[in-house]
Amino acid sequence: MDGNRRFAKKNSVQSSVGHHKGFDKLSETLKWCLDLGVPEVTVYAFSIENFKRSEEEVAALMDLARDKFKRLLDEIELINEWGVRIHVAGRLSMLPEDLRSLVAKAMLATKNNNILQLNIAYAYTGRDEISRGASHIIDGIQNKDLSPEDIDEDLLSQTLDLGEAELLVRTSGEVRLSDFMLWQVSRTVLYFTDVLWPEFSIWNLLAAIIHFQRNAPPVLPELENTKSKQKFLDKLENKWWQELESYVIC
Amino acid sequence: MLSRLIRQILFVLVNFVVNVLVAVQNVYHRLWVRRCKVLDDEVTKNDVIMIMDNVPKMKKSLKHLVVLVDTNHHSMSDLARLVIWSLITGIPYVSFHDITGDLKQNEEKLFLAIEKKKKGIPGCIKWSNKPDLNGYTYGMNANNVFINIFSYKDGRPQIVECVRQIAKGCINCEKKTNEFTTEEFGKVLTQMYNNIPDPDLVLYTGPHCCTYGLLPWQIRLTEFIQLALEHSVDISSYIGALYKYNKCDQRFGK
Repeated sequence: MDGNRRFAKKNSVQSSVGHHKGFDKLSETLKWCLDLGVPEVTVYAFSIENFKRSEEEVAALMDLARDKFKRLLDEIELINEWGVRIHVAGRLSMLPEDLRSLVAKAMLATKNNNILQLNIAYAYTGRDEISRGASHIIDGIQNKDLSPEDIDEDLLSQTLDLGEAELLVRTSGEVRLSDFMLWQVSRTVLYFTDVLWPEFSIWNLLAAIIHFQRNAPPVLPELENTKSKQKFLDKLENKWWQELESYVIC
Repeated sequence: MLSRLIRQILFVLVNFVVNVLVAVQNVYHRLWVRRCKVLDDEVTKNDVIMIMDNVPKMKKSLKHLVVLVDTNHHSMSDLARLVIWSLITGIPYVSFHDITGDLKQNEEKLFLAIEKKKKGIPGCIKWSNKPDLNGYTYGMNANNVFINIFSYKDGRPQIVECVRQIAKGCINCEKKTNEFTTEEFGKVLTQMYNNIPDPDLVLYTGPHCCTYGLLPWQIRLTEFIQLALEHSVDISSYIGALYKYNKCDQRFGK
């Protein structure tokens, strides 16, 4: 979702207006994906690196997130009707406590939906995700849930926040990943487009999908987990939900 | 909701139209664009002049260039020319990401192709896994190029190996909080890669871009630039790609 600030500059409005437009575009795009039957959408909303921006802009972005998550919780019935499951990926411990509580509430409230999973990468980087995944595995070894032989690509993949992507769209003419889904893109069709995110239209989305359909690699068979791996992963997931519940109370 | 049949027909129709459009574009390319270019298999004087003319205009330094190699489309001569051009340009690290697995097996052929084209060009070519052979330089100003060949194995499987080594206690990874930070894990991981700088630029040919599992940890800020829509490799598209790289503006999250 690149180009909000460039959009603002181009149209001579404040950067926060650009960010708001960018958010509106996200809900619009989500609607298109629901209509097209795309089952999982991931967006890169805020990188850990973005904390380096001016205090004012970071505060404005956090306010925007607070506002949107509050509105989302107000309209939770509609979201549940649509069947949207919300998952926030990233180092949640870096978020302000009140925002973290809203985020956790949204995830818990939509836990059982299964039409479309919306992953929002917030306080996220791909390197950070891999580092956290590695920590979970090391913990698993130390707790004797795993043995070193269990460690493989598939296991590390499953300890990460996000699953493999099939198509990645990057807007506003940037041609790099910027620390997004580094682990998950090894078979992904990367689609770079010059259009600024707030100006992204359904035609741009369809063009990206056609590009993907023409170049998609063959689907790999899914591997089944061994018992010990599955047990470890279940335990990890339970721990994650418990942690979210503790965030809500804060 | 559209019924399944209508959707299928639409899908076939749209893709058919796109196929026709792409075919027209390809014919155009073959007839017109190609004719304007003189395809040369050697590093010519003209190549050297073009690089010497254009590179000083570029401000952004390029430390590590990676080329995505599909041996079904790229010849050893194509790759060798890329190395020599980069040697003249002054790029210290040139790596090939071997998509098909053929390049690693034919490393000798690549080595010979490069040696053949290097004649008369100052500088050194060093292989990560070979002792220095052509150690002559013309004074201190000559450029060096380090060559590496990567494959899928060097990416995710290598990260997994790092986690396994930490798990077994073979390497120590400091952990101040309950989860590794990027710095803590990265410090241990980069030791497994002989401290090669992160790639600045990836060049690919053909209509679609994919990392093919190239070094996931290291490509976080790498620019992906298309060298050519077809799989041809020529000096003007090489310089064009370098110009494009120079225009890429990195904001580092700010």
